Amino acid sequence: MRVLLVEDDAMIGKAVLAALQDASYAVDWVRDGKTAVHALSSQYYDVVLLDLGLPGKDGLEVLADTRNRQNPVPLLIITARDTVEDRVRGLDAGADDYLLKPFEMRELLARMRAIVRRKGGTGDPELTNGHLRLDPVTHEAAVGDAPPVLLSHREFALLQALMVRPGAILSRGDLEERIYGWGQDIESNVVEFLIHALRRKLGSDVIKNVRGAGWMVAKGT
Amino acid sequence: MDGRKGNLADSLQFRLALWLGLTIIGLALVAGVGSYMSAFQEANEFQDDVLRQIATLYENSTQPTPRIVEPDSSANRDAESRVFVQVLDPAASAPASSPSRYPLALAETLPVGLQTVRSGAESYRVFIRTLSNGQHLAVAQDTAARDEIARDSALRTLTPLLAMFPIMFTIVIYLIRRGFRPVTDLAREIDRREESELHALSFDAVPAEIRPFVGAINRLLQRAELSMEGQRRFVAAAAHELRSPLTALSLQAERLANAQMSADTAERLVTLRQGIERGRSLLTQLLSLARAESVPIVASSILSVQRAYRRALEGLVTLAEEKGIDVGIAIEPDAEVRANEVDLGTLVRNLVENAIRHTPAGGRVDLSVSTSRDGVTLVIEDNGPGIPETERERVFERFYRSTGSDEMGSGLGLSIVKAICRRLGARITLGASDGTHQSGLRVTVAFPPIG
Repeated sequence: MRVLLVEDDAMIGKAVLAALQDASYAVDWVRDGKTAVHALSSQYYDVVLLDLGLPGKDGLEVLADTRNRQNPVPLLIITARDTVEDRVRGLDAGADDYLLKPFEMRELLARMRAIVRRKGGTGDPELTNGHLRLDPVTHEAAVGDAPPVLLSHREFALLQALMVRPGAILSRGDLEERIYGWGQDIESNVVEFLIHALRRKLGSDVIKNVRGAGWMVAKGT
Repeated sequence: MDGRKGNLADSLQFRLALWLGLTIIGLALVAGVGSYMSAFQEANEFQDDVLRQIATLYENSTQPTPRIVEPDSSANRDAESRVFVQVLDPAASAPASSPSRYPLALAETLPVGLQTVRSGAESYRVFIRTLSNGQHLAVAQDTAARDEIARDSALRTLTPLLAMFPIMFTIVIYLIRRGFRPVTDLAREIDRREESELHALSFDAVPAEIRPFVGAINRLLQRAELSMEGQRRFVAAAAHELRSPLTALSLQAERLANAQMSADTAERLVTLRQGIERGRSLLTQLLSLARAESVPIVASSILSVQRAYRRALEGLVTLAEEKGIDVGIAIEPDAEVRANEVDLGTLVRNLVENAIRHTPAGGRVDLSVSTSRDGVTLVIEDNGPGIPETERERVFERFYRSTGSDEMGSGLGLSIVKAICRRLGARITLGASDGTHQSGLRVTVAFPPIG
């Protein structure tokens, strides 16, 4: 996969470049906005990593320019601008994700994979946190290299709710909402019952309970 | 007004009271002496009139029998106040005959009218009147007795003046106090302020003389505000600038970790990466603090506390697991507060993280919330060592670390929390979660009711 890295800071650029090459990406590294626009108009990229504070042409202008040319390339902003307004502006301008400096390389790689998958549409629909995988088509879940286990309809609904955003805590109310449709009577303890069943099938540590708050699956690693 | 009680001479109130008091005393003295003297003189004139009247009475009723008259000869009257009446005959030039007949040795040749005459050791006030037979009638009174009577009556006129003095003094002091109240109120208002409350003082109810000062104080406050704002911007900008090199550093360290290396090197790399991680978290906290202390841009909304708790726990479950701490929400009911989401999230996360960091392994951290008429109260408590009462104010200072703490915190968490509380109008108090042993920390954040 070919990556365009737009970053004016030499130290960060060098480190990201090396890490991306380690991860078997083909990388073009440019250091200013104008060169970035030029590269984007003349070359096909699978993903763009864009810094915002650039000399010559600001990152947001590069982004606007790219989208104006109907270029749908998956684009991830990496920046030190941390206010909510900056994020909103970036995402509204057509960025697919927004990563704040300082970040860890493994998180950057995971997010790159995610936006490529989303954008491609043909990508893997499987939900995963790196340890547990859930297949929305077959309703099968698997832990590590163990063989997949078939889940019941409600078990799947509950686990899917948790797997949409690994690391998020969902309360009993949140989970009941996902399991039941409108107007259905809620049976007491059904959440505990389903979680017990899921733990028996997948191992007790796949779903964590946070006392008083709710349940979660571990965040992706 | 506080803090300088030792030097009374510096107090305008004291000086005013002193000088007004002295002026009142001085005027009272002058008025007192004046009125004493005039009353004294009046009493004397009155007694002179009495002598004249006695002479007239005597001439009309008992003449021509000259004898000694004592207006009141009862024994209990003061003998000194006697009035003597005697007849002098200027024609009879035999003064030697007189002393046997009359108690007073008066010269026969005294002129008609009022005069003061010495007779023996005493001095007398004498009125001489010519009778129809040509004789002189003398009416005399001891001057010492007269003076005493005059003095008594003059002193009586002084009494109300003396009684007025303390009353006037009290009124003066009261009026001064009252007049200065706007000034003392102003001082108290400034004293009560937090260091970040730099808004201008109000000119309402400030006397015209003090206004220039209030104006000057306001200009100073404005300059302080500007300089603090500049400082905040600098902190934010500096932290921002540090992000890039720190990112580069952490990326390189991360990449290094993937390389082949000896166990010894790997171990050192772990320490290095912990250091970088610490720098990263300090940076985040610095930015958080700069944001919490600046003017809010994001509008506030009604937020669920339970939701904020869950979001905070999501980020902290791993830390809690690493330390073996049971962290959780202790109650089921939810409550709502008015805040902006970033502020509430930062507030709760910092408090919970603080609790987890300062509670030893195997400890417990409980989050709870309650609603009452006075508002919503968030409580975050742990069963760690707690904070001694003497340190509870100081822990809000920036970069303050309690003694003996080897925790990795930035030392900014509680400063951020305090700044956010100030901004949200919430009140934060620190206490012990175990009252009997004074251990464990209980942090209470009281939000005002949603208006």
